[in-house]
Amino acid sequence: MSILSYNGSAMVAMKGKNCVAIATDKRFGIQAQTISMDFPKVFQMGPHLFIGLPGLATDTQTVMEKLRFRKNLYELKENRHITPTVFASLVSNMLYEKRFGPFFVEPVIAGLDSKTGEPFVCNMDLIGCPNAPEDFVVGGTASAQLYGMCESLWEPDLGPDDLFETISQALINAFDRDAISGWGATVYIIEKDKITTKELKTRMD
Amino acid sequence: MSSVLCPDIPNSGFSFDNCARNATLEGKGFPVPKATKTGTTIAGIIYEDGVILGADTRATEDTTVSDKNCRKIHYLASNMYCCGAGTAADTEMTTNMIASQLELHRLFTNRTVPVCTANQLLKQYLFRYQGYIGAALVLGGVDNTGPHLYSIYPHGSTDKLPYTTMGSGSLAAMAVFESRWKPGLTEEEGKKLVRDAIAAGIFNDLGSGSNVDLCVIRKGSVEYLRTYEEANKKGKRQSSYRYPPGTTAILSTKTANIEVHDVSIQRIDTDLLMDTTS
Amino acid sequence: MFSRAPVLVENYAPSSGPQDWMSAPHSTGTSIMAAEFDGGVVIGADSRTTTGAYIANRVTDKLTKVTDNIYCCRSGSAADTQAIADIVSYHLNFHAMELGEKPLVSIGAAVFRELCYNYRDSLMAGILVAGWDKRNGGQVYSVPIGGMCVRQPVSIGGSGSSYVYGYVDANFKQGMAKEECVNFITNTLSLAMARDGSSGGVVRLGIITEEGIERRVILGNELPKFYEG
Repeated sequence: MSILSYNGSAMVAMKGKNCVAIATDKRFGIQAQTISMDFPKVFQMGPHLFIGLPGLATDTQTVMEKLRFRKNLYELKENRHITPTVFASLVSNMLYEKRFGPFFVEPVIAGLDSKTGEPFVCNMDLIGCPNAPEDFVVGGTASAQLYGMCESLWEPDLGPDDLFETISQALINAFDRDAISGWGATVYIIEKDKITTKELKTRMD
Repeated sequence: MSSVLCPDIPNSGFSFDNCARNATLEGKGFPVPKATKTGTTIAGIIYEDGVILGADTRATEDTTVSDKNCRKIHYLASNMYCCGAGTAADTEMTTNMIASQLELHRLFTNRTVPVCTANQLLKQYLFRYQGYIGAALVLGGVDNTGPHLYSIYPHGSTDKLPYTTMGSGSLAAMAVFESRWKPGLTEEEGKKLVRDAIAAGIFNDLGSGSNVDLCVIRKGSVEYLRTYEEANKKGKRQSSYRYPPGTTAILSTKTANIEVHDVSIQRIDTDLLMDTTS
Repeated sequence: MFSRAPVLVENYAPSSGPQDWMSAPHSTGTSIMAAEFDGGVVIGADSRTTTGAYIANRVTDKLTKVTDNIYCCRSGSAADTQAIADIVSYHLNFHAMELGEKPLVSIGAAVFRELCYNYRDSLMAGILVAGWDKRNGGQVYSVPIGGMCVRQPVSIGGSGSSYVYGYVDANFKQGMAKEECVNFITNTLSLAMARDGSSGGVVRLGIITEEGIERRVILGNELPKFYEG
């Protein structure tokens, strides 16, 4: 079995019109045994910037702390907020540093450029190969299901409300077909003037 | 000095911190997962007045297509581009790093960097890592001595050839070149030939797919034809799958407003910017 | 997929991963050859580079320049032999600058031996060093896997060589004329390429004398024909 599916997770980020959304499940388990139903895997790294770290839970936390350190260092040096694209390079470079002994996380990044308001989504493999498509990115143990859901549900220029429904339904219906993710979900909708966090009602089995 | 509260600023270069842990996990039956591969078709030819590089745009993670339209023709210098196959992160990072070395070399020497220099930098870097950096490259460029095309293997061996292919679709693409390449092709003939070679990979190799990217490098000019041809179009959706608002059951909503205190815009005269690219 | 055959070796059975070189058979690929004649040396090689059963390059030049008067014939791993040749070339050219004249072939061979011996556990390279210098004229040195170095008036190497030892023993004569020696090498390599599956393509030749090198290519359809069953 892959170590990436030791704890179980499902994550997805989507672009909309002047907004992005990132959604995650909340389960933390050890293989089939569910330990917790409010485990954070998505972290805020700036006013308009979030990163999700699906994979091995111990590395989720370690990588989050290392990234926060490097991001803070950048912001102290540069005296400005980090942009999503720069942050993606930072993550990519940090993971590639561990090319021959990687962290077992496959990051999902979502954000708006604070100057231009341009939506940005990006995911990476565990050694930091960036992939920034025009539509959506997925990660975690339910990624195969998520690819299928997103490929049919996503459409261009969704407004924040439509984007919320789309991403929520994509996530819920994907992880309902994955035994080791689910147990609650959180969706973050990132707009220029506000972040909306919604906790979803899901199956708890 | 480092402590728990104040960690060290990270060193440059590869870190092997996790290797012992990962080896232990491997011993317990959790092997290191597979990274994204570009099970690719990449190709390049020399034509009448330059080089044409071509690539498909599929990236795979095991059997999943992880990127349907990824960029496999990487920038090295204004006169040089490089197609990458193999481990996606390795091709990306290796070409990025060599590109920065080449730019510094160009500024230091104040000359167009020869293609053989890029070849030598790449092969020495890959040889140092004994094949563990899984980058298979097709390097093409034009310098003062004319057009050059190299294929570079992960272990650090290189071949200088008038036409070459790499990746899992290389056999399909090479079949096209072997039957139709000849010296002194025109640009139109060359583009057609490379397109056909990449298309052969896209349609006959499972690891390759999606679109054809081309890059034409002539003396003094480059034409990067991103999505030269959309070989596989996505079907039109017959009806909308959009969910009406309120479909998803919500437990709680929290809105955090972002207050914009002050907006100041500083205009910069772009003509005065230091330009290091030309 | 592609990553399953990352090892590029010249005429050498593939291994499936970077670790497998240890258990891989240490037969060197290729058909390469060098022989002294009256006034210099002739070097020759086939032109096939393979990754497994696939011919990655059918027009390879395995006769690699080290200095103006010293060349080497490469067999074994393409990556290893190219890296060694580059390093030896650097050292010898540096040596030539300090010396103020062309380096001796024996010194070239010694540098090859030094690298091949010191890194014998991680290299797979069987190299023939050949050249001309004014002290000893045309010379051939063999540096096989393991890093030994021995001077021979004629030497063959690579997987194709095992088919033609008898032919070489029967036909080599000390002090041949140039064209006689060229024909001898062409015939030997043609025979080796005919029998060895991992050798083939064209025959590349180099004739190194006091005047420098003269390069020749004998295309596949121009090769001498022998008994083919």
